Amino acid sequence: MSNIFWSNIFKKGNSELNTIAQLWQQTPLFTDIPARQIEFLSAKMHVRQFRAEEIIFNQGDQGAGAILVLEGSVRVMANKTELAQLESGDFFGEIALAETDRRVADAYALADSSLVFFLKQDLEEWIEYEPRFGARFLMNLSSVLAQRLSQANKIIASQQS
Amino acid sequence: MSDSIGIRSSSANIQTFKVFAAVITIFLASIYLISSVLIPIVISLTLYALFEPATIYLVRHNVNHSLSILIVLVLLLFVTFIAIGFALPQLIEQAGLLQAKLPQILSKLEGFLTHYNQQISELVGTEFDASEIIITMLSESSSFAQSLLLSLSNKLLNIIIFLLLIPFLTYYMLKDFRSVRNRLMNWLPNSSFELGWLIYHRVSKQLLAYTRGVMIQSMIMATVCIIGFSIIGLDIPVLLGAMTGILNLIPYVGPIISIVLSLLVASAMTPFDPSLLYLSVVVIITAQVVDNVVVIPSVIANAVNLHPVEVILGIMIIGAAFGTVGVILAIPAIATAKIIYINLYTDIHNARLKSVAGL
Repeated sequence: MSNIFWSNIFKKGNSELNTIAQLWQQTPLFTDIPARQIEFLSAKMHVRQFRAEEIIFNQGDQGAGAILVLEGSVRVMANKTELAQLESGDFFGEIALAETDRRVADAYALADSSLVFFLKQDLEEWIEYEPRFGARFLMNLSSVLAQRLSQANKIIASQQS
Repeated sequence: MSDSIGIRSSSANIQTFKVFAAVITIFLASIYLISSVLIPIVISLTLYALFEPATIYLVRHNVNHSLSILIVLVLLLFVTFIAIGFALPQLIEQAGLLQAKLPQILSKLEGFLTHYNQQISELVGTEFDASEIIITMLSESSSFAQSLLLSLSNKLLNIIIFLLLIPFLTYYMLKDFRSVRNRLMNWLPNSSFELGWLIYHRVSKQLLAYTRGVMIQSMIMATVCIIGFSIIGLDIPVLLGAMTGILNLIPYVGPIISIVLSLLVASAMTPFDPSLLYLSVVVIITAQVVDNVVVIPSVIANAVNLHPVEVILGIMIIGAAFGTVGVILAIPAIATAKIIYINLYTDIHNARLKSVAGL
C-alpha cells in the first residue's frame, strides 16, 4: 500500500491514464492517431469530480475545451429541452476546441461523475510538438463538427415541417 | 428594457471589480512574499519564455526532456560568457571614457543653458540660474552614484546568489513549470475551472509574445545603434548602443532619454562637431524606423492591445509604486490586468443575464 504522505497525490495513476487514453481512442476525434500520441495527450488532460446535479457549464459560458465522461452520466440541454444523455466514453463541448466561444448548451451531472477536460491550450501545444498528427486531429474534429451541424439542420427541418 | 440592461451591466461591473480586486490583492500579497527573490524569478521566467521553444524543438527530435534543457542552458551560458568576455572590457573602457568626459558634457550643457538662458527664461516666463541647475545635478548624481555603489557593495552577496540561482531556477522552470501550473490550477473550483484556464491561456499567450518580442526588439535596436554610432564616429558606441537597446524597454520615454544621452556624448566630443549632433539623432531615428516598420509588425504586433494613454498612465502609476522594475514591467502588468478584468466581466455579466432570464 502506498503511503499518501510520500506518494505524488497529483500524479494520475497509470490505470486511470490508460482508461482515459482508451476511451478517447474509441472516439471519432482520435481516428488514425497512434495510441502513443493519445497517451501523451491524455497525460496532459485534467480530471475533475462533479457531484450529482452539479452544473458543468451553462449556455453562454466561455468554453475552454472538450469534455469526456470517464465515470457517471451527464445531461446536455438547450432551452430546457434535453439534447443528449451521455455515459462513460461519450464526449461533448468539442466546439470549444475549434473556437473558445460561448457554450451553446447547458450541461450538468446526472450522478456523481468524473469528467476529463481536454483543453484547447493543450491541443495547441500538442500541435506544436506534432503538427502531422495535429493536422489529422483537426480533420477529425472538423468531421465531427460537420456531423453535429448536419444533425442540427435535420432537427430544425423536422421541427419546421 | 435598456434601463434594466444598463443596471445589470453596472451591477456586473461592481461584482467584477470586487473579484478583480481580490485577485489583484492575492497577486500583490504573493509578490510581497517572494519579494526577496523576485528579480531572479522574473529573469528566470523571461529566460523560460525565450528558451522553451528551443527545448520543444529538441524534444520533437527525440532528445530526452531533461537533456534538451541541459543542452539549451549550457549553450546559453556559453554564449553569455563569450558575450561578456567580448563586451565587458569594451563596456568598462567606455564607461571610464564617459566618466572622464562627464565634466565636459556638463560644462557643454551649462554653456548651452547659459547661452539660451534668456530665451528659455522668456519662454518659461520665469528666471532661472543654469549653473545652479548644474550644481544641483552634479551633487545629486554624485550622491546617487555613491549610494548606488554602497548598495551594490552591500548587495554583492545577494547579486552572487542571484547569479547562481538563475540557471537553477531556469532549469526547473523549463522542466517543471507546466506540472506545477497544473497543480495550482487544479485548486480552482469546478465553476471557475474553465474560466481560470481561459484567462491563464490568454494572459500567458500575450506575455510570451510580448517578452519574446521585446527582447528581439531591444537586441535589434542595440545592434542598429552600435553600428550606426560606430559609422558616424561617435564616442563610446557599444555602451551607448547597448543603453539604447535597454532603454527601449521603457516605451515612449526610453527613446527620448537615448536621444538626449547620445546628444550629450556628441556635444562633449573634441573637437566639437555640430554635424555629429544631427547624425546621432539620425541613427536613433533610423533605429526607430527599423523598429516600427520591420520589427514591431513582424515580431510584436498584437502582442499587447493597449491604448497609448493606458500605457503612459500605467507606466507613471506602476513606476511610482515599484520604481525602475515597475516601469519595465508596467506594460505586461496592465495587459494582464486588462485580460483578467475583461474575462471576469464577460463571465459575471453572462451569469447575471442568465439568472435574470431564469434559465
